[in-house]
Amino acid sequence: MKVVIIGGGWSGLAAAITAKKAGADVEIYEKTDMLLGLGNIGGIMRNNGRYTAAEELIALGAGDLINLTDSVTKHKNIYFPGHHHAWLYDVNKIEPVVKEYVEDLGIKIFLKQRVIDVKKEGDTIVGIILYDGQFITGDAFIETTGSTGPMGNCLRYGNGCSMCVLRCPAFGPRVSISARAGVPDLQGEREEGVCGAFSGSCKIGKETLSKEICKELDEKGVVIIKIPKEDINLEKLKQKVCQQYALKEFAENIILLDTGHAKLMTSYYPLDKLRNIEGMENAKYIDPYAGGKGNSIRYLSMAPRENNMKVDGIKNLFCGGEKSGLFVGHTEAISTGSLAGHNSVRWYLGMPLLTLPKSTAVGDLISYEGNMTNTLEGKRKRYTFAGSEYFVRMKEKKLYSTDTEEINNRVKKLNLQNIFGEAII
Amino acid sequence: MNYEIIDCIDAGTQFCPCHLAESNECILCSQLQGKSFCDCKNWRGTCIYQEFNWNNNIATSERESSEGLIISKEIIYQDLIKLVIKTNHHLCKELVNAGSYVFLRCPESSPYFDVPISIMDCDIQKDTISMIIEIEGIKTKKVNELNEKDTIMIKGPFWNGVFGLKNIQRCTNKNVLLIARGIGQAPIVPVLKQLYKQNTIWLVIDKGRYEDVIIKEYINKYPCNIVELKTIEEGKLTQDLSSLIDDYIEDNFIEHVHCSGPDILIQELITKVNNRTATSCCNNAKVCCGQGVCGACTTRFEGHVVKRLCKLQTDPEYIFEGRRQI
Ligand SMILES: Cc1cc2nc3c(=O)[nH]c(=O)nc-3n(C[C@H](O)[C@H](O)[C@H](O)COP(=O)(O)OP(=O)(O)OC[C@H]3O[C@@H](n4cnc5c(N)ncnc54)[C@H](O)[C@@H]3O)c2cc1C
Ligand SMILES: Cc1cc2nc3c(=O)[nH]c(=O)nc-3n(C[C@H](O)[C@H](O)[C@H](O)COP(=O)(O)OP(=O)(O)OC[C@H]3O[C@@H](n4cnc5c(N)ncnc54)[C@H](O)[C@@H]3O)c2cc1C
Ligand code: FES
Repeated sequence: MKVVIIGGGWSGLAAAITAKKAGADVEIYEKTDMLLGLGNIGGIMRNNGRYTAAEELIALGAGDLINLTDSVTKHKNIYFPGHHHAWLYDVNKIEPVVKEYVEDLGIKIFLKQRVIDVKKEGDTIVGIILYDGQFITGDAFIETTGSTGPMGNCLRYGNGCSMCVLRCPAFGPRVSISARAGVPDLQGEREEGVCGAFSGSCKIGKETLSKEICKELDEKGVVIIKIPKEDINLEKLKQKVCQQYALKEFAENIILLDTGHAKLMTSYYPLDKLRNIEGMENAKYIDPYAGGKGNSIRYLSMAPRENNMKVDGIKNLFCGGEKSGLFVGHTEAISTGSLAGHNSVRWYLGMPLLTLPKSTAVGDLISYEGNMTNTLEGKRKRYTFAGSEYFVRMKEKKLYSTDTEEINNRVKKLNLQNIFGEAII
Repeated sequence: MNYEIIDCIDAGTQFCPCHLAESNECILCSQLQGKSFCDCKNWRGTCIYQEFNWNNNIATSERESSEGLIISKEIIYQDLIKLVIKTNHHLCKELVNAGSYVFLRCPESSPYFDVPISIMDCDIQKDTISMIIEIEGIKTKKVNELNEKDTIMIKGPFWNGVFGLKNIQRCTNKNVLLIARGIGQAPIVPVLKQLYKQNTIWLVIDKGRYEDVIIKEYINKYPCNIVELKTIEEGKLTQDLSSLIDDYIEDNFIEHVHCSGPDILIQELITKVNNRTATSCCNNAKVCCGQGVCGACTTRFEGHVVKRLCKLQTDPEYIFEGRRQI
């Protein structure tokens, strides 16, 4: 049985691993020359409810990628406003580590292979078409193309291409594969009638910051600097993808995190103003390169799906990550992707598809997001274990925990221990 | 699996965005087809929507006519002439690739007399272009009234004189079969020039209605294996060509077939080759404005598809498959 995965970000990789473990032959088609997608510029793990989800994934048998991010962690258990016990992986180390791991599992990776279309027979996809017309067949397909850009969308709904890590001008734009298969995309909004949202952080070259800032970043992992009063812009918080970071503190302060680069927790910030800040006189953006002007636009391309991650209306198409809803985060991408990969194999075998119960954090997030995106209010929210509305819910439902044993027991009680680790073919 | 990958010959050039973008008729960009989101199946390396936006939502300027000087006119046969024209460097350097053509016209004629003619050769040191013209009707007769040392109007550059350009670009270390008939010999010269060094070329020449081969100068300059034969008879491939293709594909491992001749020949050839090799061919559409506006080149296909053949790059198969009369 062959599973074809479109998009090699965190969600695509997670799907590849669970599909492989379940017994399928797996191929990943990625448009750029690197795996990980937005994972190359993120880095924050295990903050707030993501801790619970990470441990849950390990208990469910899908902890491979969590273990890898843990292994290249630069800082553990740091605090920054609103966020507890954050771990920061080194974005400059993670990609080759993941690539090697995935290849060692026997998963085939095809880089610089942009997928542009599908071929269907009835409601079943029989194959995908690559940019050069090549036709690739498969039994089940998983779309994990994310929701970022491409350039035209970043222009129409944002400030134009800001040259993010996905590098559309060089590797070609994202294509919505589910839309190509005839299933119209859903869109997130940032306010009434305004589609999409700006990515919420940038990267600054550490070498371009003062010695003092670098030292503090190296030691503590986090630096907080007050923004001059006249430059505070609370309006910008509304535009942000990452509502978990849309707090007043983030508008009044420059918050820097050490993820290898200095991660600046704001969606974009004019370079001249940034350079007014002490210690940042020579600051230079590393991602997006034009971080002084804008950032990537996301959430314009979600597929309607069921809680087992199957795309509505197509028999053999699954989805994960930002493609599958208004999810923000690596952990969220890994969670949804893992379920999609596993279920693609179940589908092939004619087994009932797995839906994770709401007594798990992962299961609850997926079903909560699924209900909310269909509401007017819900479209303007983002869903993450790390904060805002969903983290509040996690705490209310007593799903939030940092006690590994407790989380293990929960999974055990549900008979779901290592469910993603077992071969079913 | 057959899948049509299209391209716009002008995308990514100084002539993009064009008037089609202004009217939501861009042949590539979904945002410039009136849709709300990107759907960039066919990507040429630039975001046309962004180019349009940066250009204040108007088209870039159109190609203009410039004056050239006829430095030689050779009457090959009564109805066949070869012109060498001195142009300017700016234009000349844009005409080196296969598929390049310009519109020619007498200075006193109106732009309706613009006639598309392929560049057979182009010398960017001397800024001269050479072409062979068949004197057919009203426009070419008018051009034929001009003589050496006369001024001639040239509009260009245009590039869509060949379909399947991408396939030609992919030819390195390949065995390539080129087929030219009649006046089709002229536009095959740049293809030969582009490919002969890095590939092994067989060139089939059908003299058509002319007594002799008209591109001798070039086949001496760009050595290749020449086969002279009749290609088509009563609308069907001759037995000679038919068996040559089968033999060459099997014995000489031909991987690319290019045809420069009438549509009927190209169409028969595509059927004969039947996807066994990649293909390319000359563009025989009626081309009048060359920039997507006049509609002369538009061709209809099944499923209400309209293709603008002066702009659209595609493989030869898709020029004939599902074509409809209106
Ligand atoms: C600047 C920034 C900082 C962030 N920081 C953090 C953080 O610190 N912690 C955190 O948890 N989250 C962070 N996030 C969010 C998180 O990175 C994403 O939500 C998550 O990684 C999304 O994963 P994904 O697999 O769904 O999509 P993506 O990472 O977007 O992956 C999609 C992949 O598909 C490929 N692709 C797209 N179209 C095609 C196609 N047609 N053919 C082939 N391949 C295709 C893309 O190239 C890409 O590699 C951040 C996001 C941004 C933008
Ligand atoms: C991209 C391109 C490259 C060409 N290169 C050459 C070349 O190198 N040498 C050469 O001799 N001819 C070439 N032609 C064909 C040439 O343009 C026509 O023969 C010429 O336009 C005939 O016009 P006319 O007024 O003299 O004759 P008409 O009597 O009007 O027509 C004679 C024939 O030419 C066709 N024709 C008329 N107008 C056009 C037009 N605007 N575009 C295409 N076909 C037309 C008619 O359908 C008819 O079959 C090329 C055509 C195209 C589209
Ligand atoms: S020739 Fe005028 S539209 Fe194509």
